[in-house]
Amino acid sequence: MEINFEHGHGAHCESAVVRNLLNFYGIRLSEPMVLGLGAGIFFCHLPFFKVSGYAMTSFRYISGRIFSDVTKTLGIEYRKHSFKDPDDAMAKLDEVLLGGTPVGLRVGMYNLTYFPKEYRVHFNGHNLCVIGKDGDDYIISDPIGQNKNKLSAADLKKVRYAQGALPPNGSMYYITSTKNCKPLNAGMIEKSIIKTCYNMTHIPLPMFGAKGIAYLARRMRKWEKLFGKRGAALNLAQVIRMLEEIGTGGAGFRFMYAAFLQEASELLNRPGLNQFSMELTAVGDLWRDFSYNAARFFKQRDPEGLTYEDLAVKLEVISARELDIFKRLENSIKHG
Amino acid sequence: MKVKDVPQDDSFVQPDRDVNLCGRLFALDDDGKYQEVPSAGWSPRNEAVRFAWNSRKEEAGQVREKVLSGKYSPLAFHMARAMMTSGMMAGYTGFSRRNINKFCKPKHFASLDSEALSKLAGALNMSVEELISID
Repeated sequence: MEINFEHGHGAHCESAVVRNLLNFYGIRLSEPMVLGLGAGIFFCHLPFFKVSGYAMTSFRYISGRIFSDVTKTLGIEYRKHSFKDPDDAMAKLDEVLLGGTPVGLRVGMYNLTYFPKEYRVHFNGHNLCVIGKDGDDYIISDPIGQNKNKLSAADLKKVRYAQGALPPNGSMYYITSTKNCKPLNAGMIEKSIIKTCYNMTHIPLPMFGAKGIAYLARRMRKWEKLFGKRGAALNLAQVIRMLEEIGTGGAGFRFMYAAFLQEASELLNRPGLNQFSMELTAVGDLWRDFSYNAARFFKQRDPEGLTYEDLAVKLEVISARELDIFKRLENSIKHG
Repeated sequence: MKVKDVPQDDSFVQPDRDVNLCGRLFALDDDGKYQEVPSAGWSPRNEAVRFAWNSRKEEAGQVREKVLSGKYSPLAFHMARAMMTSGMMAGYTGFSRRNINKFCKPKHFASLDSEALSKLAGALNMSVEELISID
Protein backbone atom coordinates (compact mmCIF):
# COMPACT_ATOMS: atom_id res chain seq x y z
CA MET A 1 0.00 0.00 0.00
CA GLU A 2 1.42 3.37 -0.93
CA ILE A 3 -0.23 6.76 -0.73
CA ASN A 4 0.05 8.88 -3.87
CA PHE A 5 2.46 11.34 -2.25
CA GLU A 6 4.74 13.68 -4.13
CA HIS A 7 8.21 13.28 -2.64
CA GLY A 8 10.23 16.48 -2.71
CA HIS A 9 13.90 16.96 -1.89
CA GLY A 10 14.43 19.73 0.64
CA ALA A 11 17.08 21.73 2.42
CA HIS A 12 15.87 21.22 5.98
CA CYS A 13 14.17 18.09 7.25
CA GLU A 14 11.26 19.57 9.18
CA SER A 15 10.30 22.44 6.89
CA ALA A 16 10.50 20.12 3.87
CA VAL A 17 8.32 17.48 5.57
CA VAL A 18 5.72 20.16 6.39
CA ARG A 19 5.91 21.51 2.82
CA ASN A 20 5.39 18.01 1.38
CA LEU A 21 2.50 17.30 3.77
CA LEU A 22 0.76 20.57 2.88
CA ASN A 23 1.40 19.88 -0.79
CA PHE A 24 -0.43 16.55 -0.40
CA TYR A 25 -3.51 18.49 0.72
CA GLY A 26 -3.20 20.92 -2.19
CA ILE A 27 -1.68 23.84 -0.25
CA ARG A 28 1.38 24.94 -2.19
CA LEU A 29 3.98 26.84 -0.17
CA SER A 30 7.70 27.09 -0.77
CA GLU A 31 10.15 25.73 1.79
CA PRO A 32 11.46 29.16 2.90
CA MET A 33 7.84 30.28 3.37
CA VAL A 34 7.19 27.29 5.65
CA LEU A 35 10.32 28.09 7.66
CA GLY A 36 9.32 31.74 7.93
CA LEU A 37 5.70 31.07 8.93
CA GLY A 38 6.92 28.58 11.51
CA ALA A 39 9.41 31.15 12.92
CA GLY A 40 12.09 28.51 12.48
CA ILE A 41 15.28 30.59 12.71
CA PHE A 42 16.85 30.86 16.14
CA PHE A 43 20.08 30.60 18.05
CA CYS A 44 20.90 29.10 21.41
CA HIS A 45 24.01 27.75 23.08
CA LEU A 46 23.42 25.73 26.24
CA PRO A 47 26.67 24.59 27.92
CA PHE A 48 24.78 22.76 30.68
CA PHE A 49 22.64 20.72 28.27
CA LYS A 50 24.76 18.07 26.58
CA VAL A 51 23.98 16.38 23.27
CA SER A 52 26.28 13.38 22.77
CA GLY A 53 28.77 14.85 25.20
CA TYR A 54 28.99 18.40 23.83
CA ALA A 55 27.17 21.60 24.69
CA MET A 56 23.99 21.97 22.67
CA THR A 57 24.16 24.63 19.97
CA SER A 58 21.02 25.08 17.94
CA PHE A 59 20.25 27.28 14.96
CA ARG A 60 16.55 26.41 14.85
CA TYR A 61 13.61 26.41 17.21
CA ILE A 62 12.53 23.24 19.04
CA SER A 63 11.83 20.37 16.66
CA GLY A 64 8.08 20.11 16.00
CA ARG A 65 7.31 23.82 16.38
CA ILE A 66 7.40 24.58 12.65
CA PHE A 67 4.62 22.06 12.00
CA SER A 68 2.35 23.25 14.79
CA ASP A 69 2.95 26.95 14.06
CA VAL A 70 2.33 26.69 10.32
CA THR A 71 -0.82 24.59 10.70
CA LYS A 72 -2.23 26.82 13.45
CA THR A 73 -1.53 29.95 11.41
CA LEU A 74 -3.26 28.54 8.33
CA GLY A 75 -6.20 27.19 10.37
CA ILE A 76 -5.49 23.53 9.56
CA GLU A 77 -6.52 20.87 12.08
CA TYR A 78 -3.89 18.35 13.12
CA ARG A 79 -3.21 15.69 15.73
CA LYS A 80 0.02 14.93 17.57
CA HIS A 81 0.68 11.79 19.57
CA SER A 82 3.46 10.28 21.61
CA PHE A 83 3.35 6.91 23.29
CA LYS A 84 4.93 5.12 26.21
CA ASP A 85 4.60 1.70 24.63
CA PRO A 86 6.40 1.13 21.26
CA ASP A 87 3.77 -1.42 20.12
CA ASP A 88 0.96 1.10 20.66
CA ALA A 89 2.95 3.63 18.63
CA MET A 90 3.36 1.22 15.69
CA ALA A 91 -0.31 0.15 15.85
CA LYS A 92 -1.47 3.80 15.74
CA LEU A 93 0.87 4.51 12.84
CA ASP A 94 -0.57 1.57 10.87
CA GLU A 95 -4.12 2.64 11.66
CA VAL A 96 -3.63 6.23 10.45
CA LEU A 97 -1.56 5.11 7.45
CA LEU A 98 -4.20 2.60 6.29
CA GLY A 99 -6.75 5.43 6.42
CA GLY A 100 -4.76 7.07 3.62
CA THR A 101 -3.08 9.81 5.67
CA PRO A 102 0.67 10.46 5.40
CA VAL A 103 2.24 10.67 8.85
CA GLY A 104 5.19 12.80 9.96
CA LEU A 105 7.53 11.31 12.55
CA ARG A 106 10.31 12.66 14.74
CA VAL A 107 13.09 10.08 14.92
CA GLY A 108 16.66 9.58 16.08
CA MET A 109 19.30 9.42 13.36
CA TYR A 110 21.53 6.70 14.77
CA ASN A 111 19.64 3.66 13.47
CA LEU A 112 18.43 5.11 10.16
CA THR A 113 19.94 2.37 8.02
CA TYR A 114 19.76 4.22 4.70
CA PHE A 115 22.02 7.01 5.98
CA PRO A 116 25.79 6.73 5.44
CA LYS A 117 27.64 5.73 8.56
CA GLU A 118 29.34 9.11 9.03
CA TYR A 119 26.04 10.90 9.46
CA ARG A 120 24.54 8.48 11.94
CA VAL A 121 24.93 10.32 15.23
CA HIS A 122 22.82 10.27 18.37
CA PHE A 123 20.65 13.19 17.37
CA ASN A 124 16.91 12.96 18.01
CA GLY A 125 15.55 15.86 15.99
CA HIS A 126 15.26 14.38 12.52
CA ASN A 127 11.88 14.46 10.76
CA LEU A 128 10.57 12.21 8.04
CA CYS A 129 7.26 11.23 6.53
CA VAL A 130 5.84 7.70 6.30
CA ILE A 131 3.77 7.28 3.16
CA GLY A 132 3.13 3.56 2.77
CA LYS A 133 3.65 0.02 3.87
CA ASP A 134 5.01 -2.76 1.70
CA GLY A 135 4.86 -6.10 3.53
CA ASP A 136 7.08 -5.59 6.56
CA ASP A 137 8.77 -2.49 5.16
CA TYR A 138 7.62 1.08 5.50
CA ILE A 139 8.00 3.49 2.60
CA ILE A 140 9.69 6.64 3.84
CA SER A 141 9.79 10.06 2.22
CA ASP A 142 12.91 11.58 3.79
CA PRO A 143 13.49 15.06 2.33
CA ILE A 144 17.28 14.74 2.69
CA GLY A 145 17.23 11.94 0.08
CA GLN A 146 16.42 12.67 -3.54
CA ASN A 147 14.40 9.42 -3.77
CA LYS A 148 12.03 7.54 -1.48
CA ASN A 149 13.50 5.03 0.96
CA LYS A 150 12.47 1.86 2.70
CA LEU A 151 12.88 0.99 6.35
CA SER A 152 11.93 -2.27 8.07
CA ALA A 153 9.36 -2.21 10.87
CA ALA A 154 11.96 -3.25 13.47
CA ASP A 155 14.29 -0.41 12.44
CA LEU A 156 11.45 2.11 12.41
CA LYS A 157 10.49 1.08 15.92
CA LYS A 158 14.09 1.55 16.99
CA VAL A 159 14.48 5.04 15.52
CA ARG A 160 11.12 6.13 16.95
CA TYR A 161 12.30 5.07 20.38
CA ALA A 162 15.87 6.38 20.13
CA GLN A 163 17.44 7.28 23.46
CA GLY A 164 19.64 10.17 24.47
CA ALA A 165 18.94 13.89 24.75
CA LEU A 166 15.32 14.83 23.91
CA PRO A 167 14.04 11.31 23.10
CA PRO A 168 11.22 11.32 20.50
CA ASN A 169 9.07 8.77 22.40
CA GLY A 170 7.38 7.66 19.20
CA SER A 171 6.01 11.11 18.47
CA MET A 172 3.92 11.37 15.30
CA TYR A 173 1.86 14.13 13.68
CA TYR A 174 -0.63 14.30 10.85
CA ILE A 175 -3.20 16.64 9.34
CA THR A 176 -6.85 15.71 10.04
CA SER A 177 -8.81 18.35 8.20
CA THR A 178 -8.19 21.33 5.91
CA LYS A 179 -11.78 22.56 5.59
CA ASN A 180 -11.12 25.73 7.68
CA CYS A 181 -7.90 26.49 5.85
CA LYS A 182 -7.35 30.19 5.18
CA PRO A 183 -5.28 31.42 2.22
CA LEU A 184 -1.90 32.98 2.99
CA ASN A 185 -2.21 36.69 3.77
CA ALA A 186 -0.08 39.61 4.88
CA GLY A 187 -1.16 39.45 8.53
CA MET A 188 0.12 35.90 8.92
CA ILE A 189 3.55 36.77 7.52
CA GLU A 190 3.85 39.91 9.65
CA LYS A 191 2.85 38.01 12.78
CA SER A 192 5.39 35.29 12.15
CA ILE A 193 8.17 37.84 11.51
CA ILE A 194 7.35 39.59 14.80
CA LYS A 195 7.47 36.23 16.57
CA THR A 196 10.89 35.51 15.05
CA CYS A 197 12.17 38.94 16.07
CA TYR A 198 10.96 38.32 19.62
CA ASN A 199 12.86 35.02 19.75
CA MET A 200 16.00 36.60 18.36
CA THR A 201 16.10 39.77 20.44
CA HIS A 202 13.86 39.77 23.50
CA ILE A 203 14.38 36.52 25.43
CA PRO A 204 15.85 37.77 28.72
CA LEU A 205 18.59 35.13 29.07
CA PRO A 206 22.11 35.45 27.64
CA MET A 207 22.14 32.08 25.85
CA PHE A 208 19.17 32.68 23.54
CA GLY A 209 18.70 34.75 20.42
CA ALA A 210 21.25 36.90 18.63
CA LYS A 211 23.04 37.80 21.88
CA GLY A 212 23.54 34.06 22.44
CA ILE A 213 26.12 34.18 19.65
CA ALA A 214 28.18 36.60 21.76
CA TYR A 215 27.67 34.23 24.68
CA LEU A 216 29.11 31.41 22.56
CA ALA A 217 32.07 33.70 21.78
CA ARG A 218 32.68 34.26 25.50
CA ARG A 219 32.51 30.51 26.14
CA MET A 220 34.83 29.84 23.20
CA ARG A 221 37.61 31.91 24.77
CA LYS A 222 37.55 29.58 27.80
CA TRP A 223 37.46 26.31 25.84
CA GLU A 224 41.22 25.69 25.67
CA LYS A 225 41.52 26.26 29.42
CA LEU A 226 38.49 24.08 30.23
CA PHE A 227 38.83 21.14 27.82
CA GLY A 228 42.41 21.28 26.53
CA LYS A 229 43.41 21.67 22.85
CA ARG A 230 41.71 18.51 21.59
CA GLY A 231 38.53 19.04 23.59
CA ALA A 232 38.27 22.61 22.35
CA ALA A 233 38.61 21.48 18.73
CA LEU A 234 35.94 18.82 19.28
CA ASN A 235 33.56 21.41 20.70
CA LEU A 236 34.23 23.63 17.70
CA ALA A 237 33.60 20.67 15.36
CA GLN A 238 30.21 20.19 17.04
CA VAL A 239 29.26 23.84 16.41
CA ILE A 240 30.32 23.58 12.74
CA ARG A 241 28.34 20.37 12.32
CA MET A 242 25.20 21.98 13.71
CA LEU A 243 25.79 25.01 11.46
CA GLU A 244 26.54 23.28 8.18
CA GLU A 245 25.35 19.67 8.41
CA ILE A 246 23.00 18.81 5.55
CA GLY A 247 19.65 20.15 6.63
CA THR A 248 20.17 23.87 7.19
CA GLY A 249 20.12 25.32 3.68
CA GLY A 250 23.51 26.90 4.35
CA ALA A 251 24.89 29.02 7.23
CA GLY A 252 22.47 27.72 9.85
CA PHE A 253 19.18 28.72 8.11
CA ARG A 254 20.35 32.30 7.53
CA PHE A 255 20.19 31.93 3.74
CA MET A 256 16.84 30.18 3.90
CA TYR A 257 15.35 32.90 6.10
CA ALA A 258 16.75 35.54 3.76
CA ALA A 259 14.97 33.73 0.91
CA PHE A 260 11.76 33.91 2.98
CA LEU A 261 12.17 37.66 3.51
CA GLN A 262 12.65 38.10 -0.24
CA GLU A 263 9.50 36.09 -1.00
CA ALA A 264 7.59 38.07 1.65
CA SER A 265 8.74 41.38 0.18
CA GLU A 266 7.20 40.39 -3.17
CA LEU A 267 3.98 39.09 -1.61
CA LEU A 268 3.48 42.11 0.67
CA ASN A 269 4.89 44.53 -1.89
CA ARG A 270 7.39 45.93 0.62
CA PRO A 271 10.81 46.57 -0.94
CA GLY A 272 12.22 47.23 2.55
CA LEU A 273 12.03 43.53 3.38
CA ASN A 274 14.25 42.72 0.41
CA GLN A 275 16.85 45.08 1.89
CA PHE A 276 16.75 43.06 5.14
CA SER A 277 17.08 39.90 3.07
CA MET A 278 20.32 41.18 1.51
CA GLU A 279 21.68 42.18 4.93
CA LEU A 280 20.91 38.72 6.33
CA THR A 281 22.64 37.20 3.29
CA ALA A 282 25.74 39.20 4.20
CA VAL A 283 25.56 37.80 7.76
CA GLY A 284 25.23 34.30 6.28
CA ASP A 285 28.43 34.94 4.33
CA LEU A 286 30.12 35.89 7.62
CA TRP A 287 28.97 32.56 9.09
CA ARG A 288 30.47 30.75 6.09
CA ASP A 289 33.71 32.66 6.63
CA PHE A 290 33.64 31.61 10.30
CA SER A 291 33.27 27.92 9.44
CA TYR A 292 35.95 28.20 6.75
CA ASN A 293 38.42 29.54 9.32
CA ALA A 294 37.30 27.13 12.02
CA ALA A 295 38.03 24.19 9.72
CA ARG A 296 41.73 25.03 9.96
CA PHE A 297 41.62 23.79 13.56
CA PHE A 298 40.66 20.33 12.30
CA LYS A 299 43.25 20.14 9.51
CA GLN A 300 46.21 21.11 11.67
CA ARG A 301 46.12 20.87 15.44
CA ASP A 302 47.90 24.22 15.77
CA PRO A 303 46.99 26.52 12.87
CA GLU A 304 49.43 29.38 12.46
CA GLY A 305 48.10 32.84 13.14
CA LEU A 306 44.65 31.69 14.23
CA THR A 307 43.40 31.43 17.79
CA TYR A 308 40.03 30.93 19.43
CA GLU A 309 40.19 34.65 20.22
CA ASP A 310 40.04 35.44 16.47
CA LEU A 311 37.03 33.16 16.00
CA ALA A 312 35.33 34.71 19.04
CA VAL A 313 35.79 38.20 17.57
CA LYS A 314 34.17 37.00 14.31
CA LEU A 315 31.19 35.68 16.30
CA GLU A 316 30.83 38.95 18.19
CA VAL A 317 30.62 40.85 14.89
CA ILE A 318 27.92 38.41 13.68
CA SER A 319 26.04 38.76 16.97
CA ALA A 320 25.98 42.56 16.79
CA ARG A 321 24.81 42.55 13.16
CA GLU A 322 22.04 40.01 13.69
CA LEU A 323 20.80 41.86 16.76
CA ASP A 324 20.70 45.07 14.74
CA ILE A 325 18.92 43.44 11.76
CA PHE A 326 16.18 41.79 13.81
CA LYS A 327 15.59 44.91 15.92
CA ARG A 328 15.13 47.09 12.84
CA LEU A 329 13.04 44.39 11.15
CA GLU A 330 10.67 44.34 14.13
CA ASN A 331 10.39 48.12 14.10
CA SER A 332 9.71 48.26 10.39
CA ILE A 333 6.90 45.69 10.68
CA LYS A 334 5.34 47.23 13.79
CA HIS A 335 5.54 50.88 12.76
CA GLY A 336 5.14 50.54 9.01
CA MET B 1 26.32 33.67 -1.34
CA LYS B 2 26.13 33.60 -5.13
CA VAL B 3 24.92 30.61 -7.12
CA LYS B 4 28.35 30.20 -8.72
CA ASP B 5 29.96 30.02 -5.23
CA VAL B 6 27.84 27.06 -4.08
CA PRO B 7 30.46 24.46 -3.10
CA GLN B 8 30.47 21.27 -5.16
CA ASP B 9 34.05 20.30 -4.42
CA ASP B 10 34.55 17.84 -1.65
CA SER B 11 31.88 15.17 -1.71
CA PHE B 12 32.74 13.24 1.40
CA VAL B 13 29.64 11.13 1.54
CA GLN B 14 29.22 8.68 -1.31
CA PRO B 15 25.66 7.57 -0.65
CA ASP B 16 23.92 4.56 -2.20
CA ARG B 17 22.50 5.15 -5.64
CA ASP B 18 18.97 4.44 -4.38
CA VAL B 19 19.08 6.99 -1.59
CA ASN B 20 21.09 9.81 -3.15
CA LEU B 21 21.48 12.01 -0.10
CA CYS B 22 22.32 15.53 -1.01
CA GLY B 23 22.45 18.94 0.61
CA ARG B 24 20.57 21.91 -0.78
CA LEU B 25 21.64 25.51 -0.44
CA PHE B 26 19.92 28.80 -1.01
CA ALA B 27 21.99 31.22 -3.06
CA LEU B 28 21.54 34.48 -4.99
CA ASP B 29 21.57 34.49 -8.77
CA ASP B 30 22.81 37.43 -10.88
CA ASP B 31 19.51 39.33 -10.54
CA GLY B 32 19.64 39.14 -6.74
CA LYS B 33 16.90 36.48 -6.56
CA TYR B 34 17.19 33.43 -4.31
CA GLN B 35 17.53 30.03 -5.98
CA GLU B 36 17.71 26.52 -4.53
CA VAL B 37 20.89 24.76 -5.61
CA PRO B 38 21.79 21.14 -4.76
CA SER B 39 25.27 21.02 -3.25
CA ALA B 40 27.59 18.01 -3.37
CA GLY B 41 29.68 18.90 -0.37
CA TRP B 42 31.84 21.50 1.30
CA SER B 43 35.29 20.85 2.71
CA PRO B 44 35.01 22.68 6.12
CA ARG B 45 31.93 20.67 7.02
CA ASN B 46 33.53 17.43 5.90
CA GLU B 47 36.69 18.27 7.86
CA ALA B 48 34.52 18.67 10.98
CA VAL B 49 32.78 15.33 10.36
CA ARG B 50 36.09 13.58 9.66
CA PHE B 51 37.72 15.09 12.73
CA ALA B 52 34.87 14.03 15.04
CA TRP B 53 34.88 10.57 13.46
CA ASN B 54 38.65 10.07 13.86
CA SER B 55 38.74 11.28 17.44
CA ARG B 56 35.92 8.89 18.24
CA LYS B 57 38.01 6.04 16.80
CA GLU B 58 41.01 7.16 18.86
CA GLU B 59 38.94 7.23 22.04
CA ALA B 60 37.58 3.76 21.34
CA GLY B 61 41.18 2.59 20.75
CA GLN B 62 42.20 3.86 24.16
CA VAL B 63 39.32 2.02 25.79
CA ARG B 64 40.35 -1.11 23.87
CA GLU B 65 43.82 -0.96 25.43
CA LYS B 66 42.21 -0.83 28.85
CA VAL B 67 40.01 -3.81 27.99
CA LEU B 68 43.11 -5.77 27.01
CA SER B 69 44.80 -4.84 30.28
CA GLY B 70 41.75 -6.09 32.19
CA LYS B 71 40.43 -2.77 33.49
CA TYR B 72 37.19 -2.67 31.48
CA SER B 73 34.89 -5.26 29.93
CA PRO B 74 34.27 -5.49 26.14
CA LEU B 75 30.94 -3.70 26.69
CA ALA B 76 32.83 -0.48 27.50
CA PHE B 77 34.69 -0.71 24.17
CA HIS B 78 31.54 -1.29 22.13
CA MET B 79 29.78 1.57 23.90
CA ALA B 80 32.69 3.91 23.21
CA ARG B 81 32.69 2.86 19.55
CA ALA B 82 28.96 3.50 19.22
CA MET B 83 29.27 6.79 21.18
CA MET B 84 26.73 5.50 23.69
CA THR B 85 26.59 6.85 27.21
CA SER B 86 25.47 4.65 30.09
CA GLY B 87 22.22 6.64 30.22
CA MET B 88 21.40 5.84 26.58
CA MET B 89 22.33 2.21 27.05
CA ALA B 90 20.04 2.08 30.09
CA GLY B 91 17.20 3.50 28.01
CA TYR B 92 17.65 0.91 25.25
CA THR B 93 18.05 -2.15 27.50
CA GLY B 94 15.92 -1.44 30.55
CA PHE B 95 18.80 -1.91 32.97
CA SER B 96 19.58 0.92 35.39
CA ARG B 97 22.46 3.26 34.64
CA ARG B 98 24.27 2.01 37.68
CA ASN B 99 24.03 -1.56 36.45
CA ILE B 100 25.36 -0.60 33.01
CA ASN B 101 28.36 1.04 34.66
CA LYS B 102 28.82 -2.14 36.68
CA PHE B 103 28.75 -4.31 33.52
CA CYS B 104 31.65 -2.23 32.17
CA LYS B 105 33.84 -3.99 34.75
CA PRO B 106 35.16 -7.44 33.69
CA LYS B 107 34.09 -9.19 36.91
CA HIS B 108 30.41 -8.26 36.60
CA PHE B 109 30.37 -8.69 32.82
CA ALA B 110 31.54 -12.31 33.20
CA SER B 111 28.64 -13.09 35.52
CA LEU B 112 25.92 -11.99 33.03
CA ASP B 113 23.48 -14.66 31.77
CA SER B 114 22.63 -15.14 28.10
CA GLU B 115 19.36 -13.18 28.31
CA ALA B 116 21.07 -10.08 29.64
CA LEU B 117 23.85 -10.41 27.05
CA SER B 118 21.37 -10.62 24.18
CA LYS B 119 19.60 -7.50 25.48
CA LEU B 120 22.88 -5.57 25.53
CA ALA B 121 23.87 -6.93 22.10
CA GLY B 122 20.48 -5.97 20.65
CA ALA B 123 20.87 -2.36 21.80
CA LEU B 124 24.26 -2.18 20.05
CA ASN B 125 22.97 -3.88 16.84
CA MET B 126 25.33 -6.84 17.12
CA SER B 127 25.30 -10.53 17.99
CA VAL B 128 26.31 -11.89 21.39
CA GLU B 129 29.52 -13.34 19.88
CA GLU B 130 30.51 -9.90 18.62
CA LEU B 131 29.70 -8.36 21.99
CA ILE B 132 32.05 -10.59 23.97
CA SER B 133 34.96 -10.16 21.53
CA ILE B 134 36.78 -6.87 20.89
CA ASP B 135 37.65 -7.09 17.20
